Amino acid sequence: MNFLSQLGGELRKLFGRRRTYMGYVVFLAMEAIILFVFKLPRSQRSMRELIETNGLGFNDYYSSLTVTYWIMGFSMFLLGSIYFALVAGDIVAKESEDGNLRLVLARPVSRLRILLLKYAAVSIYTITFVLFVGITGYAMAVAALGWDGGLFVWNYKMKVFGVFGTWNEGMGRISLAALGIGISMITLSSIAFMFSCFKMKPASAAIVSLSILFVDLVLQEFPFFKPYEQYFVTWRMSNWVYLLEMNISWAKLAGSYAFLFGLNATLFLIGYTAFRLRDFKT
Amino acid sequence: MLSVTGLCKSFGGKPALHDISFHVEKGEIHGLLGHNGAGKSTTLGIILGMVEPDRGEALVGGVSVQKDHSGALRQVGAIFESPAFYEYLSGWDNLKILAGYSGSFDAKAAREVIARVGLSDRIRDKVGHYSHGMRQRLALAQALLPEPQVLLLDEPTDGLDPEGIKWFRDFILDLRKERGMTVLFNSHLLAEVEQMCDRVTILYKGRLVHRGDLASLQGEAVVYEVDLEPWEGACRLFELNGVKVVGPGRITLPPELEAPILVAALVGVGIRVSSFAPVRRSLEDLYLEITDRHSKEQAQPFIPSA
Repeated sequence: MNFLSQLGGELRKLFGRRRTYMGYVVFLAMEAIILFVFKLPRSQRSMRELIETNGLGFNDYYSSLTVTYWIMGFSMFLLGSIYFALVAGDIVAKESEDGNLRLVLARPVSRLRILLLKYAAVSIYTITFVLFVGITGYAMAVAALGWDGGLFVWNYKMKVFGVFGTWNEGMGRISLAALGIGISMITLSSIAFMFSCFKMKPASAAIVSLSILFVDLVLQEFPFFKPYEQYFVTWRMSNWVYLLEMNISWAKLAGSYAFLFGLNATLFLIGYTAFRLRDFKT
Repeated sequence: MLSVTGLCKSFGGKPALHDISFHVEKGEIHGLLGHNGAGKSTTLGIILGMVEPDRGEALVGGVSVQKDHSGALRQVGAIFESPAFYEYLSGWDNLKILAGYSGSFDAKAAREVIARVGLSDRIRDKVGHYSHGMRQRLALAQALLPEPQVLLLDEPTDGLDPEGIKWFRDFILDLRKERGMTVLFNSHLLAEVEQMCDRVTILYKGRLVHRGDLASLQGEAVVYEVDLEPWEGACRLFELNGVKVVGPGRITLPPELEAPILVAALVGVGIRVSSFAPVRRSLEDLYLEITDRHSKEQAQPFIPSA
């Protein structure tokens, strides 16, 4: 009970900050831009070609659900990673820099508990943010294209092809995928969180995290590393898309999420060790 | 109520504290003095568990901060110089969040503490709109809300105006009177310490150079202000009797020599004594004298009786 009330306080701090909300506004703008691009005749032609080549009707699958899939995929990796790195990079380092942490550390609460509270808050932020993007993306797509239609998924890199003819089926899968993205993105937050526990500036924690992710993404594309792609963090993080396969391969998903959970736990432990060994001098 | 034993700490190989030990009795207001970098904040950091000592231990109410961090800190409230609150939240939210780390938040108790520190009218305002004095009152409220036995004050009056300093001083003295609260007061405002503290510990370059009560400190080696003529003749007599000249017209007597005997001797050799009066030295004089002495002695530990 006490943990929950302390978590409430942590979330109050996190969501009380203006910069936490900046991301929401920027994402709404990003969604509007992606939607606008999808409405351009050239984009529509490409989509029509892709859908019809697969023997499906353009009018059935060029829908709000299909566009929501594209919005989530694009915006999360283009912009989401930046915001998660910023927020998670701030969570300890900013309080340390501003001096707030001294008031917390002067309380009868262990450093492990402080970090668990902050990590839980960051994880909640990450998942709710992804759900927010999914819901608002879908709302915008509905406003532009209407609510009905199926879901068409094509991901060349991950070799995923999914066709869900009814709205019910499509909505179920896209909701599951949103949750999958949220859980995957916690790994990015975990990297930034770990660096935030070290004695470094909040911006540095965010930049180092994004750099690691970027290097991981680039190296993964090298032909030499192709056989080892399953060892790359960003490849594992992209595995949420398997939730959109016609027949979900649960074993493959379980493997990827176990990898990510293990990595998250390791990152947390490294961060905790660094934080535990730090002296906080006035 | 509060004690530190054999504290040693180095930062990057540079010693910051060397074998510091002192204790604070229940209901005592204890001043921790020293120049910038003397080790005051490091000592407080160790007592609050924010700094891990290389050696030694801090005990609060008999509980080791290093072994049972939560158990020890449950008895402590702390106030820092320029307390950093969450600026974008109200004073009330700040109190609620911080009190949450000490256990449950009692709204009724919070309202009482807020009224006591005189923040009732502004508690719903964002802390970003508070003056320095208001922040310090909020800091007091957050420190007092868990009803601590010991209050640690780290340069709490820095940056306050004279009215604010007086209000703060009276508040702490009232707290001691009402609740018998134990206070460790870290400051370099010596006049403040002199008005508030029963005993002091003086640190110099990470070493303890003095600890004891203020009265005995001020009673040590009384200085006399004298007006004598001729001065040269008096100095010859001083030399013969072991009297030290410590400044222009200022002398100290050896323990075996009483002032009336010296005055009689001076008059007896024909020296005109216009005035001969003891001077009450301020804490500042004593502090500077002690630190100056230890600066000259390469800061060797010197621990007179407590």
